[in-house]
Amino acid sequence: MSSPDRFSHALRFLHHLGAVWIAVILLYVVSGLISPGMFQVSQALNILQIAAFLGIVAIGQTLALLVGGIDLSVAGVVTMSNIVVTSLMVGRSETMVPALLISLLLAAAVGFINGSLITLARVTPLVATLGTNSILFGAALVYTGGAPHGSISPGFAVFGQGHLLGLPVSTICWLTIGVAMAWVTRQTTFGRRLYAVGANPAAARLMGIPVSAILISTYVLSSVMACLGGLLLTSYIGSPSLGIGDQFLLTSVAAVVVGGTALSGGLGSVLGTIGGAIFITELNSFTNIVRVSTGTQFVLQGAVIALSVLIYHLVGSKRISS
Amino acid sequence: MAIKKNVYVVTRRQAIRLSAGALGFAAFSRVFPAYGADAISSAKITAAGETVSGSKYKKKGPYRIGFSNGFSGNTWRTEMLHSMKQEASQHQDLADLIIVDGQGDISKQVNDVENLISQNVDAILCIANSSSAVAPVLRDVTKQGVVTIPFNLPVEGEAWTAYIGTDPEKKGFTLGKWLRQASGDSGKIVALGGLPGNSYTASAWAGAQKAFEGGQIQVLAFRDAYWEEDRAKVVMADLIAAYPQIDGVWCDGSQDAAGAMKALLAAKRPLVPVTGDDYNGLLKLYQEQSGNYPKFKIGLLSEPTWEGVVALRTTLKLLNGEDVPKRQIIEPRLITSENYKDYIRPGLPDGVFVDTDLSDDELKTLFKS
Repeated sequence: MSSPDRFSHALRFLHHLGAVWIAVILLYVVSGLISPGMFQVSQALNILQIAAFLGIVAIGQTLALLVGGIDLSVAGVVTMSNIVVTSLMVGRSETMVPALLISLLLAAAVGFINGSLITLARVTPLVATLGTNSILFGAALVYTGGAPHGSISPGFAVFGQGHLLGLPVSTICWLTIGVAMAWVTRQTTFGRRLYAVGANPAAARLMGIPVSAILISTYVLSSVMACLGGLLLTSYIGSPSLGIGDQFLLTSVAAVVVGGTALSGGLGSVLGTIGGAIFITELNSFTNIVRVSTGTQFVLQGAVIALSVLIYHLVGSKRISS
Repeated sequence: MAIKKNVYVVTRRQAIRLSAGALGFAAFSRVFPAYGADAISSAKITAAGETVSGSKYKKKGPYRIGFSNGFSGNTWRTEMLHSMKQEASQHQDLADLIIVDGQGDISKQVNDVENLISQNVDAILCIANSSSAVAPVLRDVTKQGVVTIPFNLPVEGEAWTAYIGTDPEKKGFTLGKWLRQASGDSGKIVALGGLPGNSYTASAWAGAQKAFEGGQIQVLAFRDAYWEEDRAKVVMADLIAAYPQIDGVWCDGSQDAAGAMKALLAAKRPLVPVTGDDYNGLLKLYQEQSGNYPKFKIGLLSEPTWEGVVALRTTLKLLNGEDVPKRQIIEPRLITSENYKDYIRPGLPDGVFVDTDLSDDELKTLFKS
């Protein structure tokens, strides 16, 4: 076998396995060798616990990217869920369930508005969701008057801070949702339609797929996922903060892209995104432990995202040419 | 240039509220020299720099004053704005207080200041998003005879009328010195700052490092934690994994400190001496946990939310033709395990910054709690 063929086979193998998982393992080994603290079981569990927040938000973002769109309102939805549940729970047990339901309903409404703006008003996803994000931040300011109050119900803390059978509960929630969404996207009609709409919306429409309904459902799901991620993060910290969602605006896209989902739509997987979220969290954790400046941390993250896109582009073009 | 200094202290809870507006203002002026710094709580305020002559800015009221707020997305700014608006309502010679929000955007803030000028304001107050970006526009406005008062965060150069704020380097030094003592001058510490690249944290951390010089303190790591509890908890969890021994935590804000202590609790590690500011969440955490962890101590320096009130009073003094100091440097009192009960607001939300001129009832209304 010639060298180019071997390279092609290697790339195909990586693509089949999900290159991000190899990257996750490689980074873990390298970071552990540099900083042995990374090899501790407690630190591995810590990374999985923290990755859950980004991981769930990124699952929603994956769906948005799969249909050829993007959801930049996830940051606003995370903040909204944090502000709403803490202000409604106010540290009492009996308010927990209504607060969670209201928060999820509000998120679904935000997703419905995003989907409607994109499908009915023909606003591009980037502009529509960025606009919604800005509105949500403004609404949080108006709702709280800039002074958020409240705290979580005592029983709610278990989701973000508790452990079950040695595993963080947040991780169990995330992986359960992840596996369920992977099944939905791969094994159901809705999932297949999602890929079809992302690959070619015009062809999907000709095939009789209700494109608008699929898009609206996707943005509703994306918002609900962002809300669930926000709820877990709120459970982890216990108090409200107006800036809590900001960190997800771009890292959610980064996790999805690193996980192998194409920005152009129709290509990618939820399982890849789970790996992407672990990778981004692992990278953050590693750069927190080793003595690099925040500037270097940003450069590293940016370089990794650019490199991922490049590798997947390379894998994609090799696959087409073969 | 000669430097005049005027320092005085007013006991906390005897806060001066100029409720009688102009009358109170005049009374206040009689008590302290015309160029004296203002005061409102237990903080010491040092007047430094040249004296700015009010005669140059004297105008007949009523006045229109603009305030360019860099952004408004946290509770400190909310309390500051509320105090400032309350203060404004008590001055009959103040016709309009026009507040514009820069939304954290450097260029928007420059544009905001230009818009205020076009509205013919007599003075512009400003909390800068960037110490350098807003400097040229303030210089131009000052040249036109408009009073310009940056406060809270410094603006580059001196091409503005007067400045009010704390000295972050000095605060960082004081906190560093306290932590050095609290951890027995030989501990291993980690440090958490605010937003990446912000000048406040940079200065405060520079001050802390000076305080550590010559001692046995070992700094294991410095990380940015965005002054957010959740981010600080995540960063601290990583540092806990990397360093088996952490004897103290230096923070320039108590959201970071609270997040760091919560990470120690989650990792079942003992709580350690920590620094920060006057964030109620940390004071409540201290009250709750100090009995369980004998080494848990706090050393905190506030960033008073009444800085805007002092800025507004200074502006009105100038427009009334009174002299003021070029710089009024606020030096807050150190809050420690010994005196924290004077500051804690147990019935109020974590997000409250307690060095405020607002009463508990006012804060309850503001925080809807």
